[in-house]
Amino acid sequence: MHLYHNTENDLVINVEQIHFRGQIMNKLKKRFITYGYDEIYTSTFEHYDLYANMNGTVNHHEMIKTIDNTGTVLVLRPDITIPITQQIAMNNKEIQEDLRYFYVLDVFRQTAEANEYRESTQAGVEYFGNPAPEADAEIIALAIHLLQDVHVNHFKIELGHAGFFKQLVNEMNIQKQDLNELKQYIQAKNITEIEQLLHRLDVEKDVKDIVTSLPFLYGNPLEVIEQARKLPLNTKMKNTLQNITDIYHVLQSYGVADHIVVDLGLINHMDYYSDMIFQGFIEKVGKPILMGGRYNKLANQFDATIPAIGFACDIDLLLAGIESSLLTKMKPVDIIISYQKKQEDSALDLANKLRNKKVKVLTYPNVTSKNHLPQGMFSIDITENKSIFINDNEETPFTTFEELIRLIQQARERN
Amino acid sequence: MAQLTLALAKGRTAKESLRLMAKANITFPDFHEKSRKLVFYSEDQSIKMIYVKAVDVTTYVEQGAADIGIVGRDNILEAEADLYELLDLNLGKCRFVIASLKDLQIMKGKKIKVASKYPNVTKKYFSRNGLTAETIKLNGSVELAPIIGMADCILDIVETGNTIKENGLTILDDVEHISTRLVVNKASFATKTDQIQQLIRQLKAVLGGTE
Repeated sequence: MHLYHNTENDLVINVEQIHFRGQIMNKLKKRFITYGYDEIYTSTFEHYDLYANMNGTVNHHEMIKTIDNTGTVLVLRPDITIPITQQIAMNNKEIQEDLRYFYVLDVFRQTAEANEYRESTQAGVEYFGNPAPEADAEIIALAIHLLQDVHVNHFKIELGHAGFFKQLVNEMNIQKQDLNELKQYIQAKNITEIEQLLHRLDVEKDVKDIVTSLPFLYGNPLEVIEQARKLPLNTKMKNTLQNITDIYHVLQSYGVADHIVVDLGLINHMDYYSDMIFQGFIEKVGKPILMGGRYNKLANQFDATIPAIGFACDIDLLLAGIESSLLTKMKPVDIIISYQKKQEDSALDLANKLRNKKVKVLTYPNVTSKNHLPQGMFSIDITENKSIFINDNEETPFTTFEELIRLIQQARERN
Repeated sequence: MAQLTLALAKGRTAKESLRLMAKANITFPDFHEKSRKLVFYSEDQSIKMIYVKAVDVTTYVEQGAADIGIVGRDNILEAEADLYELLDLNLGKCRFVIASLKDLQIMKGKKIKVASKYPNVTKKYFSRNGLTAETIKLNGSVELAPIIGMADCILDIVETGNTIKENGLTILDDVEHISTRLVVNKASFATKTDQIQQLIRQLKAVLGGTE
C-alpha cells in the first residue's frame, strides 16, 4: 500500500485515492504496451558521482543523499533517463535496432526552499535508436493517447526545439550570467526585460531581431513556422524549423494536430535535450503534466552514439486534473461471514472457496453485534445448526457450496 | 468561451489597473474599494476578478487558481515564480535601490548586513556582485535599520527618493526598475490562448494611446 507523509510527517492513508491512482497507472501501462514498449526498472539507490559529473541536468541541491557503510555517497533516484541511457550506452556503443522501454517509477527530490521532500511518481518512455521525425511524432502521439485514455479532453502539447535556442546562443558572445538571465526572460516571455537586456549587450542586429521575436512565436504550428521563416535565420536554425514541420506533418497523419501548438521560446532546464522538446498542459493544473524531447547527445557522455527520445508524465499532477467520477468506484466487500468459533473449519474453508471464485470476503468469529462490522453487499451467518445467506433482510438457508453460488448470482442480478 | 480568473493586487496597483481596464472597456460594476467582497465579475462575465494581497498574486497564478494576475514587478522578482510576464502596464513605476548612511564602504570579503522586505531579491543582488550579505527581513519602515545601527544598508523600493533623503540615507546603487506587470499561468496560456491574447491586445491598444 502506498502511504503519504504530509508536511507535519503525519501518516495519511487515503484508500480511495490510492485505488484511483492504481487504476490510472494500469491504464497508462496498458497503453505503453500497445505501442510496443517493454517495462523496465532502475535502482532506487544510485551513485552520486553519476550526477555530480553531469552539469545542466538535476540540480545537485535537490537530490536526496545518503551514505553507505563504505563512505560512498548515494542518491535516491533523482532522474530516470540518465541511468537508463548509461545502461544502454554501456552495452552498445552504437545501436542497430530500436529499443522501446517504459517505466512507472518514483523520483525523489528535495525542494531548495523549506525542508520539504517530494516523492513523485513518473510514468514515461525512452525510445533509443531512431532519429527520424516519425519517432518524434510517435512519442507525442503516445503522450496524447495517454491523456485521452484517462478522459482528459481539453489539453495542449507545446512543441519547441532545443537546437533553435542553442544556435542563437552560438551566434552571441554572451557571459554565463547574462545568458541565464536571458533564458529566464525568454521562458517568461518577458519582452520588456529581453529588450532591456539586449540593449545592454553587444549583440548583432539580426540576432536581436530573432531573440525579441521569441515571445511571440507561439501558437498555430504552420503559422508560427511561417512567421519564423521570415526572420534572418542561419542554416542550422532553418533546419530546426524544417524538423518541427516534418514532425507536425506526421502528427497530422496521427489525427492529433488539433492538440499541438508550437512555442519557439520553449527552453527546458534539462541541458541534455538536443532537438525537439515538448510539454503538455491540461486544464486546472498550473504546471506541465508531462515533459519530454529528443536527447541525442546524452549517450556521448558515456562514450556511445545513440539517438534517443523520451518523455515522462507526473502522475500526481495528472491525478489533480482528472475527474475522479469518470472512473469506477471502489467496490465494497462482497460477503461478510460471521461464524461461531466451533464452526471455524467450515467457515474458513467456505471463505477460501469463495475467494478462489474472485469473491471479496471478510470473516469474523463470535459476533455479538453486527454494528461494528464493515458494510458488505451480502452476509453469511454460520451457526452449529445451519448456514444462512442474507441479502438485506431476506434470509435464505443453504447447505451446499453450489447452492450458495446460485444464491449470490440471483441476489446480484436482483440488485 | 471559458471565463478567465484574474488576481488583482490590492491597493494602488488595483486602482490604476482598473482605470486602465476601464479604458479597454473592461469594467467590474460591483467593485468599490470599501467592499468586503473578494470576488467580482466583469460586466460581460468574461473575467472573474479576485482581489488579493500583492504578495499573494504570483502564488494564485503559479498554482493555477488564477489564470492571470496584475502585480508589481517587485513582488514577481521576490516570488521567483515560474510564470509568463507578458505585458508591462507602465504603471506604478519605481525602482529597487541600495541605500545607506553616507559613509558605508562596500568591500569584497566583508560581510554586509542588509535590511529588506525582499530577502530573495537582496540575496540575488549581492551574490551577483560577488559580495557576502546577511539579510534581515523587515516588514516595513526599512529605512530605520541603518539609522539605529541594525543593518549597514537597505534594499528597498523608491519612487522619488524623498523618504530615503528625509531619513539621511543616500542611494548607492540601482538594482532593478519596477512597474506593474500582467503575469500569466503557463498552463492557462496553453489551454486558453485565444482569450488571453485577446485581453492582451485590448490592453495593449489602450497602453499605446497613453504613451
